[in-house]
Order: sequence, then C-alpha cells, then structure tokens
Amino acid sequence: MPIYVVDDDESVCRALKTLLMTYEFEVITFNSAQSFFENVAHDDPGCLLLDIHMPGLDGWETQKKILASGSTRPVIFISAEKKDDALGRALKVGAVGFLQKPVNGQTLVDLINVSLEELANKNK
Amino acid sequence: MKQANDIKEPLLKKIIPNNLEVQILRLTNELKVRKRQLKQGADREKLAKEIFRGRVSRGADREKQGANREKQGADREKQGADREKQGADREKQGAVREKLAKEKFRKQTDELEIKSGQVSQGVHREKQGAGREKLAEEQFRQQSDEIEIKDGQLKQGANREKLAEEQIHIRTKAMEATFDGIFIIDAKKPDFPIIYANPSFYSLTGFTKIEVIGKNYFLLYGEAENVHSSEEIKQTLLRGKPFQGEMLHYKKNGKKFWCLLRITLVRDKNGSITHYVGNKTDTTMMKQRDSEIKEQREELLHVTRVGKLAEFVSSLAHEISQPLTAILSYAQAAQRLIKDREPQLQEILQYIVNDDQRAAEVIRRLRYLLKKTKPAFEPIEINSLINDTVTLIMPDITARNKTVKFELVTNPPSICGDRIQLQQVLLNLISNSLEAMEGNKDSHELVIRTSHKDNDRIMVEVKDSGCGIPTENVKKLFTHFFTSKQDGLGMGLSISRSIVEAHGGHLEAKNNPVHGATFYFTIPITKKNDQ
Repeated sequence: MPIYVVDDDESVCRALKTLLMTYEFEVITFNSAQSFFENVAHDDPGCLLLDIHMPGLDGWETQKKILASGSTRPVIFISAEKKDDALGRALKVGAVGFLQKPVNGQTLVDLINVSLEELANKNK
Repeated sequence: MKQANDIKEPLLKKIIPNNLEVQILRLTNELKVRKRQLKQGADREKLAKEIFRGRVSRGADREKQGANREKQGADREKQGADREKQGADREKQGAVREKLAKEKFRKQTDELEIKSGQVSQGVHREKQGAGREKLAEEQFRQQSDEIEIKDGQLKQGANREKLAEEQIHIRTKAMEATFDGIFIIDAKKPDFPIIYANPSFYSLTGFTKIEVIGKNYFLLYGEAENVHSSEEIKQTLLRGKPFQGEMLHYKKNGKKFWCLLRITLVRDKNGSITHYVGNKTDTTMMKQRDSEIKEQREELLHVTRVGKLAEFVSSLAHEISQPLTAILSYAQAAQRLIKDREPQLQEILQYIVNDDQRAAEVIRRLRYLLKKTKPAFEPIEINSLINDTVTLIMPDITARNKTVKFELVTNPPSICGDRIQLQQVLLNLISNSLEAMEGNKDSHELVIRTSHKDNDRIMVEVKDSGCGIPTENVKKLFTHFFTSKQDGLGMGLSISRSIVEAHGGHLEAKNNPVHGATFYFTIPITKKNDQ
C-alpha cells in the first residue's frame, strides 16, 4: 500500500521518501495538495502524510476536501506548527495523528503501521 | 550819796541831754523792733529753707522717676540685645535689618539719655533758684511727654521688628527647606565671596560651611567645574545678566552630577547690583531617565525594524524546521541502510540525529518562551544538568579542539527550575565561550564551575580564555538583538537572561583579569518546605 507525502518543501519530501523506503514502503510525493488531488483518486488506497503550512490549499483545507469526497484515507499531519491544540484539532477533523517536525523515523513508521492496520480492519 | 547822785544826775544831765533819753528809748524800741525784725527774718529764712528743701526733694523725686524711665529704657535695650543674639544665627539679611533696628533703638536710647541729662540739669537749676523752678517743671513735663512719645515709638518699633522677624523666619525656613542648593554671592566685592549657602547646597556639593562661606565661588568651583563654564558664568554676571545653564558638576568627593545652575542678580534701590543669588538643581535623575527612555525607544525601534518578535521567530522556526526535518530523515534513513555495518559511520549519524533534535528543541523552546507560558519547574541537581548539557555539545567542543574543565561543588542542594530552559542557558553560554576562543590557538580550556553563592543561592560560572568583551559592549550584551557576531541574531543572551530571571536568579558577565570573560548566574536553592 503506498504512502503519499504532501509538503511544499522538496527536500522534506525527498528525505521522508528516502527514510520510508528503508522501511520498504512505496512512497509517492507531491509539492502541493492540488497536485495530489490531480494525481490520486479519492478511493485509491494508501496513507497520506500531510504538511499543514503550505501555499495554496493548506493542510486543514485539504483534509476537509478529503473528508468531503467520502474517502476513508488515513491522514497523518506533519508540521513545524505547534499550537497547543494541534493534535486535538487534527483528531477532530478525522486525522490519525499529528507529528511535529522534525519527526523521528521510528515514531512515524509506528503511526503509519497502526493507521494501515486500522484501515485494513475497517475494510474487512 | 545824795550829792553824788546830785552831782551825778546833773552830770549825767550835762553829759546826756534830755532828748537823749528819748533817743535811747527810741533806740531801745528800735532795737526791739530790729530784734523782732531779726526774728521775723530768721523765720523767713527758715521758711525759705523749708520751701527750698521741699523743692530739692521734689527735684530728687523727679530725678528718680527719670532714672526709672532710664532703667526701663535699659531693659528694653537688653531685650533688644537678646533679640539681636537670637538673630545672630540667622541670615546676613536678617542681621542687617536687625542691626538697623538696633541702631534706631540705640539712637532712641541716646536721646533718652540726653533727655535724662537735661532733666538733671533742670534739677540743678531748680536748686539754684526757685524762680526757675516753674520753668524747670515746665521743661520737665515737656521732657516727660517727649519720653512718653519716644516710649510709644519704641513699642511700635518693637512690634514692627517682631513682624519683620516673623517674615524673615518664614523666608529663612523656606530657603532652608528647598531641595535646590541656594547660595548668595556678595557682588560688591571683586572676588565673588559666598556669604550664604542653604543646607541643600552643602548636601549637593559635599562641601562644608567652613569650606564655602567667604570663599570665591569661582575659585571654589574653578577646579571642579569646566573652566570654560566658570569664565562664561563670570562674564555673563559681570555684564549684568543672569546666567542659566546645565552642566556636569563634581561633588567634593569627585562624584559627578548633572546640575542646572541659575544665577540671578539682586539690585538695591539705586539699581546697582549688590548680590548674586545662585540656584543649583540636581538633574542627574532626570538625565538618567531621559537616557533610559531614549535607550528603550531605540530598542523598540530595533524590534520594529526586525518585525514583530513573535511573528519573526515563528516564521524563523518554521523555516528552520523544514531542513531539520529533512536532515533527521536522511540521517535516520542512512542509519537503517548501514544497519549493523560501519560502526564509525553509525556514530556520526547518531551525532547528526542528536544535534538535529537539539536544534529542534531550541526552536521549540524559543517559541514556547515567546508565548510567555509558564515554564515547567521541577527539582534539578545542577551538576548533572551541566554534565548532560556538556554531553550534548561535546561533539562541538571536540571539533573545535577545546576542552572542558569541571569545578563542581560536591553534593549541591537541588534547585527548582525548567530543565530544558536552563540547559538552553548553559548551551548558549558554552557555545558563546567556544566562539570567543575560536581562532585563538593558545586558549583551549573552558571552565565550568558551580559553588555556593550564599545560603540561598547556587552560582554557576562559565569561564573562557577567549578574546574577552570590549568595554563598550559590556552594557549592551544582554540587549535584544545586540550581537558582535557576523551571523548572530542577538537573541541568545537576552533570552538566557530572561530565563535566569524567571528562575529568580541573575545572569551577569565580566572580563577576567587576564584572558577572556566569565558569564555567571545564580539560581535559588529549593527550600525544604518548598518541595
């Protein structure tokens, strides 16, 4: 199952891809939410790692759009932003979790695995 | 016998003619009359004597009355003298007025004495002749009236003097009470002698009365004040104009103070200048406040220039987080790729990961601080905090070819603080020290010392042997955005200081006697009942 990464910072995309590939994930990266929506259908399987602070559609708006499309895709917010209620807000809008940048590899992978398992259970 | 008688009778008749008998009788009568007259004369003389004695006694009484009045006059003179004595401590002005009053009094007393003399003369004259008594009496009454008038005048004079004294008292007290240093110079003497100075003048300048009174104002201040100023003041006064100016003055002990000096002229009725009255106001506080306000304004301007601090840091944090995310991911990817191989490379990658996380933590704290959230306080053992912190920065220290020497107090009492914030302070101080020693091959050693400042505080010192702090920078070190580094933000020390102060301590810096500088801070020890 592929992992989608949406972040306006190209270096971050590339680094996360490099890291996740060592865990043998298939990783596809996008520099904007628009580009993600253009290339990935709402019912395509896979987990989404989503940056919040982006030009154009930001993380929150992207998540709103995903939910509106009826997709059940697990979304993990990854952001440098650390507002007191960021995790709470993320969970409220249906995200699996919120990780603050810079993210520790193992923590990220654990969260991805949990969300994929949950998704698999839901689909059974 | 008969014959004899016969003879005798005609003889007598012969010798004494008949009319002689009549003559004798007449003479006898005359004698009787004369005797009576004599007695009458003696009586008259006695009466005259009595009258005279009476007159003399009345004269003496009058003399006595005169003497009493003279005594009253003398008493008044004594009272005047007492007042003069009280007034002697007062200002020269008061003394002058009192002297005038005294002179007036003396004149009156003299007049009184003259009158007294005239009275005694009158008594003499009275003694000489009763005819003059009436005249003398008349004169005496006149003189008594005059004395009464004089007496009334004296009373009026005394009242006026009392009023004048009250006025002088109020004015003197006012002059003594004011915070300004007031002094009076005698303008009629060529050497500008000070004739009066109020208590504030002495406390302001530190000079004593003996050192000031009678001294030339400009000689007294010639050395202390700017010479140019002295000359300027003198010329202004000599041109008959008041002086006003603010200048740096020195106290007797050499301490500087800012002084607003104003000197005005006092003229007499004819318009000629008799005195100069000077007024010194200590404006040091005002000056300081002005310069503080100026500094604050400059600091504010600087902040405005940089942008709103929180926004600035927030965007900075975001920008730095991105590369930190990438670095961390790359390093962790590499670690996985060479898992169980290349132990040296593994170690290096671990350092990268650690430093990345430290940088992320600093940014996180920075944002946290700017949000002014309360730090998380917990009991901390200062030595272990220092050890942990140095471990974090050890790679940097080694890379720069420097060493750390620990001089830590054994079993220090625990302090209460935010571990990460205090670590941030230590990291900041250590990395500053490392940078100060950069490029100096002779300085290798960084000393970190802990000690008991007193019963309540622990002192932490970070001492380097680097380039030291230029004197002009010492004051500004802890100012926001002040930096002596080319790529510095000028935030480290100001943030460190606010962290230490939030912990109830103080962060200071000083240059070492020989090389480098020492940054030191105190942190209060946790009291047992606080835990």
